[in-house]
Order: sequence, then structure tokens, then C-alpha cells
Amino acid sequence: MKLNIKSLNYSTILTIWLIVVLTILGELSNSFKTFLTASTGHHWVSKGMFSLIFFVVVYFMISKSVKDRADSPNWAINAIIATILAGIIIFGFYLWHFTP
Amino acid sequence: MVNLLVATHAVIGILAIFAFLLVFVELLDSKEKTAKRVKAFALIGTILIFVSWIVGGYYYVTYYGPDVKPLIKEGASPWIHSVVMETKEHVFLFLPFLAILATGMIFSSNAELLKNHKTKLAVLMLCALIILIGLAITGMGFLISTGARYVGAG
Repeated sequence: MKLNIKSLNYSTILTIWLIVVLTILGELSNSFKTFLTASTGHHWVSKGMFSLIFFVVVYFMISKSVKDRADSPNWAINAIIATILAGIIIFGFYLWHFTP
Repeated sequence: MVNLLVATHAVIGILAIFAFLLVFVELLDSKEKTAKRVKAFALIGTILIFVSWIVGGYYYVTYYGPDVKPLIKEGASPWIHSVVMETKEHVFLFLPFLAILATGMIFSSNAELLKNHKTKLAVLMLCALIILIGLAITGMGFLISTGARYVGAG
């Protein structure tokens, strides 16, 4: 099995940020949360489904135009940094959102 | 039934963390003969993360949301849901994609993983991140279960 590692890294990074946007927007906008809930029956299920579909679509779109190179694995560092930042943002957001 | 779902979700999640821990350990001293084990553990870990997602998601949507969440929010420690559970359920969504990335890199790099120090380091760091997020989520799950029991919902 040979995957395009650079595209896999790009799609992971973009999906992580999509999860952050869906999470924060879902809390700040009632209409957006209603849309998420209406899509699958539960807003959290919609976030997961949308992220999964987005990940697959972005991977195939990017892999058509981006060539894999020897340095592609180095991009994993960017995915790691994005994940740590995204985790801190989500935790910080809920802490801020909860604090009266 | 409810406790069985929570226990299944937790055990499968811990097994997934353990699988990526085995990938990490095998990669530290990787040789030709360990490559097959690294691939097998990564694949098993990724599948377990997806199974844990489905089982945990079913419990969350069917039981936690309607029955447990309102009791915790009305109790003495509403932050257990508003901060801990909200963070857990959303940060968890990172794991399937990180697992696919790590497993994809392992399957695609083959011999490169053993020879190229940078590729190996990148996969090691990804596995470490999956393990650390997994452990943090396990800790949050323990806190939520304790909070649920405290309000009489567990």
C-alpha cells in the first residue's frame, strides 16, 4: 500500500482545524448547531462525519496535484504542532465559555 | 447495559493506546523482522480507535446526553461536563486522523522507516502524541465517570 504522505499530512492538518472551527462555531452560533443537529440527528455525530468525509475528499484532491517527495514525512511535525495547538484552543475555549 | 458500554469503550480505547505504545517500542529498536509487527500493531491500533469511537459515540448520544449530562450540569461540579467532557469529546476526534496518518506513513515508507532517521523520528513523535492524547482522554473519562457516580447517574 503506497499513500501520498504529503497529502495525508495536509489532509490531517486541515481536518484538525476543521474540527476546531466546527466545535467553536457550533457553540457560538445557534443556527449552525441546529444545522449540525439536523444533519445526522446529533451535532457531535455530524462533526465526526463531516470531518471524516472532508479528510477523504481533501486527501484525494491534494494527492492529484501534490507529488510525494523524500521530505514528506517531515510534514508530520506540522501535523503534531497543529494537533497540540488545536487541543489547547479547544480546552481554552471551553474553559472561557464555562467561566461566568 | 450502560456500564458495559462505558467499560467496552474504555477498554478498547486503552487497547488502542497499548497498540501504539507497542509500535513506539518496536520502532525504537527496529530491525527487518520487527517491520511486520510494527505494521500489524499500527493497523490494530487504528481499527481499535474507530471501534472505540463508535461504541463511545453510541453511549454518548443514547445515554450520556439525555440521562447523565443534565444531572452533572445541575450538580455541584458542572465543569465536569462543560469543560472536561466537551474537551474530551472534541479532542478525541483528532485521534482517528492521527492514527491513519501514522499507519499510512508506516505502510508507505517500508524499508525507508528503518533506514531514514527523520522518517522514523516523525512516526515515533506521532505515536507519542497519540499515546499522550489517549492517556489524557482516559483520565478525563475517569473524571467524568466519577462525576456521574457522584450525582447518582453511574
